[in-house]
Amino acid sequence: MISCEDLTVTLPGASGPVHILDKVRFSVDKGEFVSVLGTSGSGKTTLLRVLGGLQPATGGRVSCDGAGISGPPDGVVTVFQDYTHSLLPWRTVRRNVALGIEKLPKSEREGRVDDALAMVGLSERGDEYPWRLSGGMQQRVQIARALAMRPRVLLMDEPFGALDAMTKAALQDQLQQVQELTGTTVVFVTHDVEEAVYLSDRLVVLRGSPANIGLSLDVPLPRPRDQVVTKERADYLELRHEVYEALGHRVGPWSKT
Amino acid sequence: MVKNLNWVGAAVFALGLGLWELLVRTGVLTFSYLPPPSDVAVGLGQLLGSGELSGALGHTLLAAVSGWALAGLIGVAAGSVLGLVRPVWTYSMASLEALRALPIVAFVPVAVLLFGFSVQTEISVAFYAALWPILLNTVNGMGTEARLVETGRVLRLSRAATLWKIRLPAATATIVVGLRLGLSTSLVLTLVAEMVGNPAGLGFLLVSKGQALQPGQMFAAVFVIGVTGIVLNAVVLGLARLVFRGQLAAAGEA
Repeated sequence: MISCEDLTVTLPGASGPVHILDKVRFSVDKGEFVSVLGTSGSGKTTLLRVLGGLQPATGGRVSCDGAGISGPPDGVVTVFQDYTHSLLPWRTVRRNVALGIEKLPKSEREGRVDDALAMVGLSERGDEYPWRLSGGMQQRVQIARALAMRPRVLLMDEPFGALDAMTKAALQDQLQQVQELTGTTVVFVTHDVEEAVYLSDRLVVLRGSPANIGLSLDVPLPRPRDQVVTKERADYLELRHEVYEALGHRVGPWSKT
Repeated sequence: MVKNLNWVGAAVFALGLGLWELLVRTGVLTFSYLPPPSDVAVGLGQLLGSGELSGALGHTLLAAVSGWALAGLIGVAAGSVLGLVRPVWTYSMASLEALRALPIVAFVPVAVLLFGFSVQTEISVAFYAALWPILLNTVNGMGTEARLVETGRVLRLSRAATLWKIRLPAATATIVVGLRLGLSTSLVLTLVAEMVGNPAGLGFLLVSKGQALQPGQMFAAVFVIGVTGIVLNAVVLGLARLVFRGQLAAAGEA
């Protein structure tokens, strides 16, 4: 579906070019939920921006369904972390969700908006302005806007990073449901280990500077997953442990090296 | 409307008028030609009765508003191009800054020389006066937040659609500020052009009543000019709120 081979990205920095990604080899299959984990500044957002066609690769090959990526590919939609700056404050929720599909005939457009709002549980709030809603609802509007495009691939850049723990859990479960319903492929960037293990079919850890893929791990936890039951499973805890280790965590902050 | 009226402020205003009346009537203020407010009211009645006022007001409004409307069209279009196309900005901004620094009043005699004692002089001066705030506010407004423009790319909007659906609406609140500033300077400069150029409209009415030693009527003209400015601003703001409800609400202006 989406793949990159030997992807290298160098960005201009204050003191010369900064080498962000080095020969990253990464691919996502149709319908898969893959998380990209890494500490802050590890290049995970850059990787997502390259996949979304928002940032050109310096070297290597990036493709979506076999075609090289230069600009946002058809059927691939990015959801940003900062919902406040991604929604148009002068448009109501409905009109924000319709933004990408306004070329469609009215009946189809309105139908898609209804479906997308229903999927994120905002059917009642369509006529309000987004800045009247809570942060979690605003992020759901952005997700609904992406869903209205009927994407094959959703690229999500720390979408729940700015939300409180309870809202985050609710949105994680909603995203699971949406993915089960639509079969959309998801690439999910996060720095939250629990979130990555809980949501993914597979996760990769970016490590080093310039970054490379340090760990690629299948997550064979049964679905549907549950915030309490799944997180008490022994295999969940083992996977979580393994990811923390890959991220360089040592057991106990006071333990001797 | 009545609920929002600032009663205390209105009372102070009325008190000021009363004091003015009192000081003139009791001879404390002894200018030869300072009328008390009651004389100004009488003057206003005379101007209304003779039909002079409506003719002059209509003339001034026509000149100021048509110059301003033209400036709105050209200012928003040119400002968009300047704000969006970097090379155009680089080549023209130095000249524009230099022209803008020139006090607009200095342009009035130039317009008189070019267009004679005609309404064209007034319109061109009103146009020139309104052009700057509209143009520069549009240029500023075009500095759309990067994330919004990126949102347009992600949703596969064309360049034209991004301009129409994202950049222009994002700039609307700023452009409306430019339009309001432009309208008030348009009115001022139209009046100046009527005083020193084309002998017509409220500006000429004001000067001619002064020269005819009719202080009541002259002050009435001043009063009408003040009210005109307030009304024009309110009309533009009201229209903008009607047409661009969402944009102004988002900017906290509705």
